Amino acid sequence: MTNAEILIVGAGHNGLVTAAYLAQAGKKVLVLEQRATAGGQLAGATLASGATVPGLHPAGQLRPVIVKELDLARHGLTMSAADAAYVSALPDGGSLRLVSSANDVATIEAIRRLSPRDAGCWPEFVGFMNRAAAFLDAAYSTTMPRLPKIELRWDGLPLASLALKLRRMGGKDMFRVMRSLSMSAVEFTEEWFESEPINAAIAGVAIHGVTLGSMSAGTGFTLIHNWLNRGGLAHRTTTGGPQGLTDALVKAVLTNGGEIRTGAGVAQILVEHQRVLGVRLESGEELKASTVVSSADPRRTLLGLVGAPELPPEFVWQTQSIRMRGSVAKLFVQTDGRHRLPEGTVAIAPTLKYLERAYDSTKYGEMSQDPYLEVTTSGADVMVHVQFATYALRNADWGSMRPELEKRAIDTLALHFPAFKGSVQSVQSITPVDLEQTWGLTEGDLNHGQLILDQIFFMRPLPGWSNHRTPIDGLYLCGSGLHGGGGISGTPGRNAARALLRG
Amino acid sequence: MPELSTVHHPLYQLRRTPFHARTSQLCLPHNWRRWGGCLAAGSYDLGLDREYWAIRNHAALIDISPLIKYEITGRDAARLLHRLTPRDIHRMQVGQVYYTGWCDDDGKLLDDGTVTRIGEQSFRLTAAEPQYRWLALNAVGMQVQVTELTEQLAALSLQGPKSRAILNLACEQPVDSLKYFRMAFNRIAGKPVSVSRTGYTGDLGYEIWMDATDALVIWDALMAAGHDYGITPTGILAMDMARVEAGLFMLDVDYTSASHAWIPGQRSSPYEMGLGWTVNLDKQGYFVGRRALEREHREGSSWKLVGLEIDWEGLEREYAAVGMPPQVPASAVRGSIPVYAGPRQVGYASTSTWSPVLKKYIALVHLQQPYFTPGTKVEIEVTVEHHRRKSPATVVTLPFYDPEWKKK
Repeated sequence: MTNAEILIVGAGHNGLVTAAYLAQAGKKVLVLEQRATAGGQLAGATLASGATVPGLHPAGQLRPVIVKELDLARHGLTMSAADAAYVSALPDGGSLRLVSSANDVATIEAIRRLSPRDAGCWPEFVGFMNRAAAFLDAAYSTTMPRLPKIELRWDGLPLASLALKLRRMGGKDMFRVMRSLSMSAVEFTEEWFESEPINAAIAGVAIHGVTLGSMSAGTGFTLIHNWLNRGGLAHRTTTGGPQGLTDALVKAVLTNGGEIRTGAGVAQILVEHQRVLGVRLESGEELKASTVVSSADPRRTLLGLVGAPELPPEFVWQTQSIRMRGSVAKLFVQTDGRHRLPEGTVAIAPTLKYLERAYDSTKYGEMSQDPYLEVTTSGADVMVHVQFATYALRNADWGSMRPELEKRAIDTLALHFPAFKGSVQSVQSITPVDLEQTWGLTEGDLNHGQLILDQIFFMRPLPGWSNHRTPIDGLYLCGSGLHGGGGISGTPGRNAARALLRG
Repeated sequence: MPELSTVHHPLYQLRRTPFHARTSQLCLPHNWRRWGGCLAAGSYDLGLDREYWAIRNHAALIDISPLIKYEITGRDAARLLHRLTPRDIHRMQVGQVYYTGWCDDDGKLLDDGTVTRIGEQSFRLTAAEPQYRWLALNAVGMQVQVTELTEQLAALSLQGPKSRAILNLACEQPVDSLKYFRMAFNRIAGKPVSVSRTGYTGDLGYEIWMDATDALVIWDALMAAGHDYGITPTGILAMDMARVEAGLFMLDVDYTSASHAWIPGQRSSPYEMGLGWTVNLDKQGYFVGRRALEREHREGSSWKLVGLEIDWEGLEREYAAVGMPPQVPASAVRGSIPVYAGPRQVGYASTSTWSPVLKKYIALVHLQQPYFTPGTKVEIEVTVEHHRRKSPATVVTLPFYDPEWKKK
């Protein structure tokens, strides 16, 4: 039994953000989490194999507006002010250390060694990226119109204000941002810099987490998206790491009177005549509520938890058509501490073609021979993000490919940092199938739907359904698959709460 | 000269039904029509009278093989049709046949046809147009198989007061106990058939469903059994007159499928088409269009398909004014004709015909609220010697013609 008015499916960061906002507004909320701990992708897990692994991301930040509105500083969340370093391994064995600040002397000096011209461009580039990210931030916190049925009364004002923000960027910047969204990372970076290692280092961030190559259209957009979420090229840490972020959100929910139940997986969202009735847990327990907000991905929520038979056929077709296609795997490597990897965010993105070739393999249902990697260290622990490890392997399956995944990732990293290989003591890996089974991510897609041009803005999660609602009255979506989502920012969670409170 | 194979390429050819070997021998005027991508005989005679009167007085044999047919089987077969249509499929008995339309989620008709419960987990669905995509879309998340049987399953319609007597002669089992809108398995000439007491004429009649490979044997058996009863191969034009008398409408003639409508105004709901009786809002669970149909039921429909009888004296007057006797069309007219209340157009006729059995000029008309109330006096446009005139007419309930033996 519960006396909650609103049930929230999933205690990932977006579910918790929505819950905290609703609780803050005086609503009785109950968050239901399948796993034993809250935190979603930021929380560790026990895999089907029995292995335990930490959370999937080395760092994550919430938008400052969320930290402020939910008073998360009071709950222990503080952002690191220090500029984080992004280190790209160069083909010749050296490395390029970039700090995403317009006037970092060391960074400009490092670029100058590759190209004096590029060094001159760096401050302008960083300034542009920050302004472009600020625009995207503004767009993400604006509820998108329900095209094609635009209702000026509701959508008109926020859109006009967004247009005004865009206009204020100045004509040149505005035009450049609009152009950048559809460009490829190769085209975009080559407009700024002539030095391949710089372009490739930046392009690595552009393809990070998405099933796109450096030459794919729309990686200009994903670069700005990732830049916004990271605050630059490198991951920026928070106090207590990702766990600190989850802890702060959990406290925010609880202190506002919300409840969180872990080990309470939702098996079914109960619906009658297109109206939500509550949920049925995996234990069989039924909880009644007039409002259910799901932070699970849209496909899993709608086709899995609600079920296609309760939804209009065209909507089912649209939901089936959301492209998920995860292609990320993770490695957690325990070393003896002598791995000799640099501090910060380390990328194996030596050339633009290297990144495109790594992506090519997904077209053929294969794992990259030479994958793009992003590596972070915490003492002797090394976390490796591996792309591309496509969910949809052809002629193979992830049950048998796991050793090969681990071998290719370790060999690739050792190629650039030879000391690493000898330091390895144990390896845990997470394949796209693990992401699906353990974290509930359809097709292992970390973003709950690919960040591609036809799946963003008013087309996310689906054209005509950008207002967090669904054809089921009382069922809302608040996860990463919504506008603003993909990555850790909390924006979809905040937008969902606002849409719900607006009524 | 192009290769014969090029000319006969399936892309350029209308398909032939399994009865083509017989119908093509009989179709002396070569009056072929297109029906569902098939050659269908319009009439086997130069006029329609003989075939029309066979429907009403003895027995007409009509090749209805071009109908689109699906077999729906599996654990969720009933669930799929329950979701697809506004009727309560879970209440259907094995051997029962339902006539129904089905809608998009805006509650607008996509197509209409019959659902037959062949077994507990087995149904047959007929449609005017292919529905595979729509069926597949509605079947997501269900355990059900949808198989198109259009070409494998041949079908004949035997319509008319003598159809029962003929079937009793031709079939292994008598059909006397087969009730209206029921289906039973039987054998004709040793071949398995299913016989449903259904049709598109509003008369006593049956539809016989068989494997396409048995088509000719069964045709011959029925023709032989019906010889003494005046069985008459009948084309779709005479059937078109009979179906108007029976108040039955036709896709693309009397309504536009919501999937083909260019503008919202071209779409029609079941309520607007007089199919309110098929919409079961009390049934359990979601079905496509439920919300919209509930709203329309609550708020009332702004249009309705009803019958219109053109006032004979009024028509006579208009023709007499130019010194002519009244002229009536020789077959059903599939064309839009304006209907007026005073100076204002309040609707249109979509099919009109002279009814030989009723001796009346009748039409299926779409009228705006409140003009669709039976008994309302309106005027319909008639073209008299190249001049547009108006003739008085009266709104009536459908069907126009409902013989007592239809359901007995």
